Amino acid sequence: MKRIILIALALLLLTLLFAWGALFYPMDAKLPSGASLEAPSGEHWLGTDNLGIDIFAQISGGFFHSMSIGLSTAVIAFLLGGALGVAAGYAGGRVDMLVEFLINLFLSVPQLPIMIVIGAFFGQSSLNIICIIAAFSWAPIAKQVRARTMSLRKTRYLILARSYGGGLWYLFKTHMSRDIMPLLAISSIAVTGRAIVQESSLAFLGLSDPLAKSWGLMIARCTAFKGIYFTEFWKWWLLPPVFSLVISALLLRLLTRALESYWLEKE
Amino acid sequence: MKKKILLMLCSFVVIYLVNFTIPRLMPGDPFDYQSAAAGEESSTEMTEELKEYLRSYYGLDKPFFAQLWENVKSNLRGDLGYSIHYKQAVSSLLLERLPWTAFIMVSALVLSLILGIALALLGLRRKKLEGSLYALLSLLGELPHFLLGILLLFLVAARVDWIPLSGAATAFGVYYSEWDWIKDVLLHAMLPIAALSLATIPGFYFTARASFLGILERPYVLAARAKGLKEGRIRRHYIFRNALPPIVARFFLSVGSAIGGTMLVENVFAYPGLGTVMREAVKYRDYPLIQGVFLLSTVLVLLSLFAADMINALSDGKRGGSL
Repeated sequence: MKRIILIALALLLLTLLFAWGALFYPMDAKLPSGASLEAPSGEHWLGTDNLGIDIFAQISGGFFHSMSIGLSTAVIAFLLGGALGVAAGYAGGRVDMLVEFLINLFLSVPQLPIMIVIGAFFGQSSLNIICIIAAFSWAPIAKQVRARTMSLRKTRYLILARSYGGGLWYLFKTHMSRDIMPLLAISSIAVTGRAIVQESSLAFLGLSDPLAKSWGLMIARCTAFKGIYFTEFWKWWLLPPVFSLVISALLLRLLTRALESYWLEKE
Repeated sequence: MKKKILLMLCSFVVIYLVNFTIPRLMPGDPFDYQSAAAGEESSTEMTEELKEYLRSYYGLDKPFFAQLWENVKSNLRGDLGYSIHYKQAVSSLLLERLPWTAFIMVSALVLSLILGIALALLGLRRKKLEGSLYALLSLLGELPHFLLGILLLFLVAARVDWIPLSGAATAFGVYYSEWDWIKDVLLHAMLPIAALSLATIPGFYFTARASFLGILERPYVLAARAKGLKEGRIRRHYIFRNALPPIVARFFLSVGSAIGGTMLVENVFAYPGLGTVMREAVKYRDYPLIQGVFLLSTVLVLLSLFAADMINALSDGKRGGSL
């Protein structure tokens, strides 16, 4: 429990820092505010990039961009994975066979290549990126939820409630959600972290919204800058987005792990 | 087993269909674009007759299923279409690039398989070390491949003179012997392989660790100890051999994520494999090429998933349910 609070606090601090950066930091995240490639100073905390745009402002904006993509993906995966998993585990028969096939299909396709294919054809908007990542995040959740529902279905209290004529929604609400919801919530947090990383991978390949200042795009633009290795610029241009990405992904992962162990202990 | 094969074939058919259908779902067709995207000052407007002629020339005026059938036939002949950007048949381009990707991917997987097992064994012997090893590797496992690549590139390759920054071999290099060439290629492949391995070691470590721990609890290990067999023999014949199948299966299961990781890492180091081709293809919207790379990687991944299933089935069969 203590660990969960600590990690959540760290996440909150990070959010506050970047919220301050996005709202009150005097530099603009989209317009040049200094000379090209200035080193970090009191005026530009993390320096500027090749267009003279302040890096700290960009990182702050990127945090909310990444987080909103991660969270929306998680919500879609949560709904889709939960609904399909419960339906398959509860109904059995044909429905189960179909859902199981879909799960196996989505788990066996190589993810990055198909994301590239779909992204390339359907254009580069944040909405498309969210849909693509969500489409390949629900399967593991559905798999877990399905297994859980199948084992719950055999419990006596559920058999009894069903024999009294309880509908699926009623049964889920009163008898199954207590077991399934934590599982769903924890895997959704895990999806958030993974979605952020996947978005940056796609952005690095030039497949995310070119106007949204995401961390992956910053990394891609920095590494594409000719001769960057032989200069000092990468120290303030490349490292901030890399470390923000690493820290956010790690914090979300640690939160998932802490919640998992807390839940297991409680059981 | 039959069910598995059937499932795999079904998956392939579905993926193939999706791959075929997506470009045809797009509004418009290639000839609507050509007039504007030629990059010239004066945009050429095609007449309707010309468009009709081109459509029938490329078979795009045929019904959907007729096109599908044509596509299947030509794919079966090994013809994957013609790359617009590289001006070369997609299949020959892929065959040219696949060895590079396969080289770094397979070496990275083998390397991380060995290191993963070694670390797991080390952890079992020294409990103190295991705690920190576990924590470190689970953090490492969360880092995306391309970030590891970028960090290696900037922190190692840019600092050390003799490590090349990009490419698969020195440009216009002159080699005095085969050995020189091999050395050069290995030197260039070193960092991409390192980045990939760092990202895949954790997976192997966790699988190996779980597998070893599971075997250690088996009664036959206790029986072997009770018989007074030598410790080395127990380790080699009783523990290691029985723990191996899930680890080897994991090798094939990780091909799926390794392909994606290899594509990203290749782009970091400008390594001339499938990943860099894919990025170029995306940049220039070279659809036949994008689809070709995707089809090839799907086939590779499905085959390796199948291999993993076979290994699992075989090792289950060997145990024969006698327990």
